[in-house]
Amino acid sequence: MSKIFKGVLGPFLLIFLLLVARFIFPHKVTFITELSIFTIYVMGNDILYGYLGLVSFGQPFYLSVGAYSAAIYLAYLGHSPLVALVAGIISGFIVGMVLGPFFIRLRGDYFALINAAICAIGLFIVEKLLIGITRGDDGLWYRSRMGVTPILDIRMPNNFFYFALLILLIILLLYKFMDHSVLGVSFRAIRVNERKMRFLGYDTFKIKWIGFSLASILSAISGALYAINFGFVNPSLGEPSRAAEVLVATLIGGAGTVYGPFFGAFGFLGIKDLVSKYIERWELFVGILTILVLFKFSKGIWGGVDFFIIEKLKTKIKSFKQKRYPI
Amino acid sequence: MLSKTNEKILVVQNLNVSYQKLKVLFDVSIEVNTGEVVAIVGRNGAGKTTLFRTIAGFIKKDSGSIFFKSKDIGSLPAYEVAQLGLKYIPQDKQVFSDLEVRENLELGSYATKDYNWDVVLEYFPKLKTLLKRKAGHLSGGERQMLLIAMALLGNPELVLMDEPTEGLAPHVINDLSHAFKEINKKTTLVIIEQNLPLTAEIANRVYSMKEGKIIAETVDKDDIKKMVFEKYL
Repeated sequence: MSKIFKGVLGPFLLIFLLLVARFIFPHKVTFITELSIFTIYVMGNDILYGYLGLVSFGQPFYLSVGAYSAAIYLAYLGHSPLVALVAGIISGFIVGMVLGPFFIRLRGDYFALINAAICAIGLFIVEKLLIGITRGDDGLWYRSRMGVTPILDIRMPNNFFYFALLILLIILLLYKFMDHSVLGVSFRAIRVNERKMRFLGYDTFKIKWIGFSLASILSAISGALYAINFGFVNPSLGEPSRAAEVLVATLIGGAGTVYGPFFGAFGFLGIKDLVSKYIERWELFVGILTILVLFKFSKGIWGGVDFFIIEKLKTKIKSFKQKRYPI
Repeated sequence: MLSKTNEKILVVQNLNVSYQKLKVLFDVSIEVNTGEVVAIVGRNGAGKTTLFRTIAGFIKKDSGSIFFKSKDIGSLPAYEVAQLGLKYIPQDKQVFSDLEVRENLELGSYATKDYNWDVVLEYFPKLKTLLKRKAGHLSGGERQMLLIAMALLGNPELVLMDEPTEGLAPHVINDLSHAFKEINKKTTLVIIEQNLPLTAEIANRVYSMKEGKIIAETVDKDDIKKMVFEKYL
């Protein structure tokens, strides 16, 4: 099996399974769409936490940057959801490039707290300062202004489902490529020993800046997709109290892995979707799952799946081949 | 093959360094010629590691100058010093423990664009058999070999090694000693070493440090063999 085929197999298989799930559970289209978008959001946080070892309490800010950029474009400037997505990507890039040099100088708890601070500032800006544009707590509505997109009219929820899967596939492929690239290895090496990287001649500041910007872009893409999907945004998207959601999802999925963000998003949204029907405080189960992961499965759900199923399957196939072809 | 010359690859002049108000290096001056193995000896707290860390760009100097290949590197950040061809191997023996040996070497390669591992694996053949192993699972000696191998990728002209044999078994020290001689055929070495017989065996010049000062310089090979620098410790 060629390396390229092996590299793209996982992402394609995951998207295929989501497509199959859509037909087996047709009433879960909204859930799978939300899962795809949330996975991208978790991936952004995973670059910071899983790869670079930086905890951020401000990811909702970057999410709302993308969401409001797309929303403001659709509400006032244009009609194309695709251009709105591009606006989200550009805003995420700009925010990452501008804030990165200031934030990544800070270590550990200071980095986490400055992000919490920017999140609070961001909330104030959209809720109060720019109330004339964002309409504050009432939110911004623009669904009727959204125009038809070529090939697939993504204004329709059923079509948007395919569009979200396509974006997830592209990002998963790029994410996997990054994981195996110099950049991915450099991220992980910085998490283990940043000083050692400098001994080797790496400008770790630049590498962390790139990581921060990528995280910001992914969060903004996710925000823009939310904005296009729902047809409205309100400040609750960027509330600092929601910062724990993406952190917990990253942790339970398996930090620093390609598929961990998907499983984290699935675990988090799955509990929310399933348990919230019966118990108001569904977060209790997320808490229990998080404790389980922290104490028993440090590599998260994906780490468990990888170890207990995939690795054992590989070993069985290997031993089967050896029995069949002993030489 | 690197021959010993009188061309000075590293010149440190009147270096003064402090940790906040605590002064730790006092007018330190050393010279290293191309092709030499220079040893720096001294008791704990003499300032040897501080000297290395300052040369490598990790600590800011108060005053004095540091020239590498006639270029003033005294105010350059660590990664730029490394990119110029001056590598520092600290004494902590910390590798990228989560990564495989192969990935650790790849990181050395990416930084220097030197993807030819034949030479460094020739120095440390044992690493060939450990390429797939997580670096965190290596023994102390193997870690040291990996660290030196990573530092040597890109053919640095000068390598600073901080107590490379500390805590290692005698047979590993023996292997490393042999490797140092081989490495010195291509690279100038400056080594902080507490193992005096090893120092006497490989060094061409020995600086003795005490309380943040250079108190003696021994260049005579016979004196080095006789370990006369021991009296300054």
